[in-house]
Amino acid sequence: MTTLQRQKTLGKILSFIAFCILVYYAAKLCRVDYRIFKSGIFEGFQFIQELFPPDFGALGEMLYPAFETVLIALLATILGALISLLLAFGGAANLAPAWLKFVSRFIMVAERALPEIVIILLLVAALGLGAFPGVVALAIGCLGMLGRLFADAIEEVNPKTMEAVTSVGASKMQIIQYVVLPEVMPSLISNVLFRFEVNIRLSVLLGAVGAGGIGYEIFYSFQLLEYERASTAILVVLFLVFSSERLSDYLRKKILPTGKLK
Amino acid sequence: MIEVKHITKSLPDGKQILKGISFVAEKGDFIGILGPSGAGKTLTMRCLNGLTKPSSGHIYVNYENRIKDISKCRGRELREMRQKIGVIFQGFNLVKRLSVLDNVMIGRLGQINSLRSLFYGFTDSEAKEALQALENVKIAHLAHRKVASLSGGEMQRVAIARAIFQNPVMLLADEPIANLDPSNAKKIMKLLKPLAQEMPVIGVFHQPKIASEYCNRIIAIKNGIVVYDGSPNLSEKKLEEIYGEEFNALEEATMTPTLAYS
Repeated sequence: MTTLQRQKTLGKILSFIAFCILVYYAAKLCRVDYRIFKSGIFEGFQFIQELFPPDFGALGEMLYPAFETVLIALLATILGALISLLLAFGGAANLAPAWLKFVSRFIMVAERALPEIVIILLLVAALGLGAFPGVVALAIGCLGMLGRLFADAIEEVNPKTMEAVTSVGASKMQIIQYVVLPEVMPSLISNVLFRFEVNIRLSVLLGAVGAGGIGYEIFYSFQLLEYERASTAILVVLFLVFSSERLSDYLRKKILPTGKLK
Repeated sequence: MIEVKHITKSLPDGKQILKGISFVAEKGDFIGILGPSGAGKTLTMRCLNGLTKPSSGHIYVNYENRIKDISKCRGRELREMRQKIGVIFQGFNLVKRLSVLDNVMIGRLGQINSLRSLFYGFTDSEAKEALQALENVKIAHLAHRKVASLSGGEMQRVAIARAIFQNPVMLLADEPIANLDPSNAKKIMKLLKPLAQEMPVIGVFHQPKIASEYCNRIIAIKNGIVVYDGSPNLSEKKLEEIYGEEFNALEEATMTPTLAYS
């Protein structure tokens, strides 16, 4: 072995030892204990047994909350996408002045830093229980991700094309309408569809803290120890998430030639 | 008619690129601007349609019996001037996701009011005119194709149709054939030549042979000044004088297609 190879090997061994020490202390601090895990698994299986058979009689009562969950996600995605688009115009360096870009991007970063669950807890405190705070919370939840992706897509529009359309005497509004929007549309649609899937999952989660919909059914059934009813609700959720993913895949392929997320 | 009067342009670092360019172009002129790279050819073109402001000098554009200095225009006035100047580019600079016909329509964005453009309100007679413009460049059959699916030669034809539809008082072409193979390059030159009967056509070219073949006047720019202005029949000696060190490389470039994508 050359000196260089020896140094490299030594470096690898040292970093591996450091990694092992890190994992050991992390496990110790988090009180990872195999015995708890073993008995826990056993209890878990017992609990899962209680979920069966699902109470399909309750399926009828689940339809409306499931519908509500879908509507919350749908409204929130549309509202969030619209606000995100406005924010993205402000956050794109090729359209907005520097100060506006700073403000818009700051709003996006601030939103990304706040988990949805924090936003919903704040909004439930402010607006009360129900579907409406859920819609608002999820719409706000879109801004960080969609705003950022939209703004980046806008910044990727070929500056030469924008210049060419400037040189026929078009105004900034016309450039946005005739150049920017058509060029970013595929990435816009693709990301909105993806966000719709995310919002379906999140709206189930938010239901549990009072935003209504199917999530609330699960939470409520667990509270009343009606596990069979809860398992029906879980099956409905699985169905919703699965079919929303299929639907958005289908639409994406149908609308876009490549069908990939950009 | 356009009169360029002693324009200069310095970069922010103080380096002077244009050192006093002057010439007059009139109806009937098909001017080929030649010169070594970095001489200021493209910068001159950008000044002519107001995309860049010269540091000093005047560019008088004569239209509708008015004479205006485009280098002094701003805002709405500048946009009005740009409507009167057709430009085609090396990279074609079309909106790739829109149809061929839509791209031609964009040529007139500056001339319709913002309410009409907001609702895509082009009239049937305008659509007919746009189709006629496509007919002029012999690609009317591609009107409803997406631009992204066209070849380079076809894209440049769309760009020419966009400029024709604009009804300009002059046509600028910034290296319009640099991205095309020799056969397409000649076809584009054949389309540009007759346009000079209606308005001055000014183009920047890298291939002196093709420029001499089709243009009826050559202007050579070197180190930011006009070193030649006259007949397209340039002697080898004159060309060598204009291009200096680049002369030998030039001969090769005229034999093989240029693949200088930028």
